[in-house]
Amino acid sequence: MHPSDDLVFVDAVTRKFPLDHSAVTALDHTSLRVAAGEFLAIAGPSGSGKSTLLNLIGCIDKPTSGRIFIDGVDTSQLSPARTTALRREKIGFVFQTFNLIPVFTAAENVEFPLLIQGVNASERRTRVTEALESVGLAGRAHHRPDLLSGGERQRVAVARAIVGRPALVLADEPTANLDTHNATQLIELMRDLNRRLGLTFIFSTHDQRLLEHTPRIIRLTDGQVESDTHSQGDSHGQILATCVS
Amino acid sequence: MGKFLLLAFRNVFRNRRRTVMTLMMVGGGVAGLLLVGGFFAFMFHGLRESTIRNGLGHIQIFTAEHFQRDEVHVLDTGISNWRRVAASVRTGSHVRGVAPRIDFYGMLSNGVKSSVFMGSAVEPDSERAMGFSPRVASGRDLGSNSNGEVEALIGTGVAKSMSVKVGDGLTILAVTADGALNGIDVQIVGIVNTGFKDLDDRYLRISLPSAQRLLQTDRVTNLVVGLDDTENTDSVAATLIPELRGQSQPMVIRKWIDLAAYYQQVRTLFSGIFLFLGIIVFFMVLMASVNTLLMAMFERTREIGTMLAMGTPRRWIVALFMVEATLTGLFGAAVGVLGGNLLGVALNLSGLHLPPPPGSDVPMAFKVLHVPGLMIGASLLVVISLALASILPAIRASRLQIAEALAHV
Repeated sequence: MHPSDDLVFVDAVTRKFPLDHSAVTALDHTSLRVAAGEFLAIAGPSGSGKSTLLNLIGCIDKPTSGRIFIDGVDTSQLSPARTTALRREKIGFVFQTFNLIPVFTAAENVEFPLLIQGVNASERRTRVTEALESVGLAGRAHHRPDLLSGGERQRVAVARAIVGRPALVLADEPTANLDTHNATQLIELMRDLNRRLGLTFIFSTHDQRLLEHTPRIIRLTDGQVESDTHSQGDSHGQILATCVS
Repeated sequence: MGKFLLLAFRNVFRNRRRTVMTLMMVGGGVAGLLLVGGFFAFMFHGLRESTIRNGLGHIQIFTAEHFQRDEVHVLDTGISNWRRVAASVRTGSHVRGVAPRIDFYGMLSNGVKSSVFMGSAVEPDSERAMGFSPRVASGRDLGSNSNGEVEALIGTGVAKSMSVKVGDGLTILAVTADGALNGIDVQIVGIVNTGFKDLDDRYLRISLPSAQRLLQTDRVTNLVVGLDDTENTDSVAATLIPELRGQSQPMVIRKWIDLAAYYQQVRTLFSGIFLFLGIIVFFMVLMASVNTLLMAMFERTREIGTMLAMGTPRRWIVALFMVEATLTGLFGAAVGVLGGNLLGVALNLSGLHLPPPPGSDVPMAFKVLHVPGLMIGASLLVVISLALASILPAIRASRLQIAEALAHV
């Protein structure tokens, strides 16, 4: 298959981090293909390489070897400026600790990606309203992050990630700082956006309960893909049981 | 752009305690410069006006020859038709008066002892009309009519060295315009303290007719023009130049600033001191701000990483930090200008006085002038300091490795 057929193509990527006189291998010849519109979880214990893989797909880190294609573009060939532009135009990020700008309101946080994309003011207003409505926070638009609950903050972060209409949304442990109820709601929200808007989501988690809503799960262990499981339905209980076993 | 400025503005007030400390530091620097600069401006203004009113005048008119060659005979480069020139100048706007003067030299004697003098001959009424009065330590100024006696003012040093007092007589000798030696007896009516010891040791002042009789000439050295306001000097000088072209002798004018060597020296000295203070404030603000901005950058590492991850161009991060620093500088400058002016008003109302300066027994008033140019200059200084201080933190912030910045705790 040609790389351009996939939204994401990770081709034998290795990432090593120098440590004193040796190196820690976070990812070891990992390969992965993600088609547009997929809803994909990367699961695995701490230190398995989930965040490293998401960082590499998100072009905020560079592999030690191997190549990564985003929408058919070999990211290793891009200049820093083009890499920045690629992130700005094609990728939305949701972080474990929300990472909202504390001096901005929810609406202003959501507006920021549009600001750096150069979208005009009236278009920005419309899209911010739509994004906040889609995450159920239209009524909290003018609240600053410190006045929002953890679940609300992460929904604002999701709205910020999708407002620029990216091809891909990357979420690194998006539920790690949420209680079970909020975590489940967030995953359901992301799944809903994936279905309604056709957005591709890749998120990492080590919370087994959340994987029940995930049609495709890639399990990493020691920097390598241990399993890549697909299901047609929403329930993954059976597959999970297989994975765990 | 508006949202970007809004972000910068809100970031300035994000850590209020630190911002208040920074504003106090920047504002303190500006206020200090305004107070010192305002006091210096008051001193300059006082020295300027006293220099002018002590007899220098605002503008002096000479013949062109006066500056082209040395006199062969007394006053042979002087103004001959000075009455007509003076009458013409007197009609100009802003002109308060015109006074003829003769500068001359000679010997004076008390019959026992002789000494060299530097003489100045004046029309007392013309001088007084312009507010030019010598600082009389004892006795009085020259009178309008002298009843046959030639009145003289002498410096305190002359009085001491010749052992004379008000009411005593002296004989003065000088070379006439023809090269002969001539002498007249004068009566001391006043003793003058010019504020300059070297001048007091040689100072003699008599009326213009007496000097012309002594020197056997009807010429004068120069004409001193007094104006209603020193600020009008340049405009009046500009109108005088074409007006003097029609005279029988080529004339030149000199503004007070061209002749006030002492004033210029004092101003240069104090301007140097002020510049030094400005440099200290500049570096103080620069160093403290670099530290503050680096702390701010460190605290916001993850936020910067997030912005970079979302595709914010690195130059935006540089611009954000520089705009924040510039805004801090502007707010600090506003605090400083407000605080400095309020303190200045309070000091002016307090009636503070400094000890008398050298050559004076009058305590010097402590006043602070409110100089708009100084406010703009001091404000620009701190704004530029802050903007420069932000360059290092801004560049460091823009060069953060995104993955590392996002993992920053």
